[in-house]
Amino acid sequence: MKTIKVMLNVNNEKVTLQVKPYETLLETLRERLSLTGAKESCSLGSCGACTVLVNGTPMRSCLILTPEVEGASITTIEGLKNGEKLHPLQQAFMEKGAVQCGFCTSGMILTAKALLDRNKKPEKRDIVKTMSSNICRCTGYKKIIEAVEETSKK
Amino acid sequence: MILPKFDYKKARTIEEALELYNKHDGNAFYLAGGTDLVPLIKLRLLQPKVIIDLKGIDGLKDIKKMNNSLVVGPNITLFELKQNPFIKDYFPCLFESLEATSCETLQMRGTIGGNILQNTRCLQYNKSLEWRTARGFCLKMGGKVCNVVPNSKSCFSNYCGDNAPSLMTIDAKAKLVSAKGERTVRLEKLFSEDGRSPFTIKPGEILKEIIIPLKKTKGAYEKLTVRGSIDYPLVGVAVTVKKDAAVVAVTGIGPSPHLYEIKEINEKSINEVADWAYEDARPVLNAVLTPLYRKKMVPVLIKRAFKRIGAGGGR
Repeated sequence: MKTIKVMLNVNNEKVTLQVKPYETLLETLRERLSLTGAKESCSLGSCGACTVLVNGTPMRSCLILTPEVEGASITTIEGLKNGEKLHPLQQAFMEKGAVQCGFCTSGMILTAKALLDRNKKPEKRDIVKTMSSNICRCTGYKKIIEAVEETSKK
Repeated sequence: MILPKFDYKKARTIEEALELYNKHDGNAFYLAGGTDLVPLIKLRLLQPKVIIDLKGIDGLKDIKKMNNSLVVGPNITLFELKQNPFIKDYFPCLFESLEATSCETLQMRGTIGGNILQNTRCLQYNKSLEWRTARGFCLKMGGKVCNVVPNSKSCFSNYCGDNAPSLMTIDAKAKLVSAKGERTVRLEKLFSEDGRSPFTIKPGEILKEIIIPLKKTKGAYEKLTVRGSIDYPLVGVAVTVKKDAAVVAVTGIGPSPHLYEIKEINEKSINEVADWAYEDARPVLNAVLTPLYRKKMVPVLIKRAFKRIGAGGGR
């Protein structure tokens, strides 16, 4: 089957790829670009471990075909830090102990980043509502919400 | 989970999408948000030869006010629709069901058209190919038996859309387009009441517009789930009150939502409809809660919705 040429802007770097028409964005990121921060967990869009930002909007990359997002800007967890300096959310997650096994963390941080980008001062209930998009099977929700709250206050 | 092989085409116009569909002779599926379609393909429940992406079609993404109606393009995401000021002001029932749909991230991807036309679900159906092969194919997969109710000739899969019942209570209509032309039908006419193929949409037809009469209403949506988010309704009840009358829709049990009308709202008529809906609800063991509990929750949720609107009802 013929491949499709796709241009993407991944973490501020332009890439041109020949992808399979049935390839998901998650596969492209992990297997072609070696960006393994986004994780494959349920693979059916339920858990949120594969969340990346597509033009600033958090999306399940396991449900998106790469050709669908032709021309889009993709941000993965690898693209959050500024040089050697971690993103405030990454810092807060570490300080608050919001990371247990770490499998959900990249999705959690990107979901939280999108929230703080559109709402600078969210109330706790907004944070809870947004963060309920992602599942943490270590059940470390309390500390995750605390970390997002802490970052929003800075 | 790896997707099976298929081709991907992006349509720029409705005509192009229809042409692509006809060219592939029924082996094509339309793609909008993909939050329902992609998992079904991953589980090998659908085997498309080609996927036709409708997101490139400009006209399907507008909300406009026309002749006392709100015309909603089906490609508008649930999250965008929720933020439209008309929805919160005029249709609180729809606003609440949009809020209750899955989670924010999936609302940002899933579209209203796709949400209405989502496939019915069953504990025995939404499983991997290996699981289903070991169990034996059911009616919905082309087999000869129902794996939930043995000897049944009909499919008991549940329609789990949150927003179609709300839209039905506010008299929404759907405009469909095919190569033969356009037709407009009331939303409830989209449902075939057959779980095997739950919609009356003809092969290749595209949902072009959802038309909602712009009248201020009061309403509420009640949803029974086991989780706070990312969950389908195990029972969903949409209630819209217009002056003295009300419309109630019950979803989550069986292949299509049930509609009930109340001509004059009072304690007695609410109880009557609650009893009637209780009798009508025939849940089977195909969701994560027991059928009896789901059945008992139908009248409870109806009364609760009325109480929240402030129009009588019980706890």
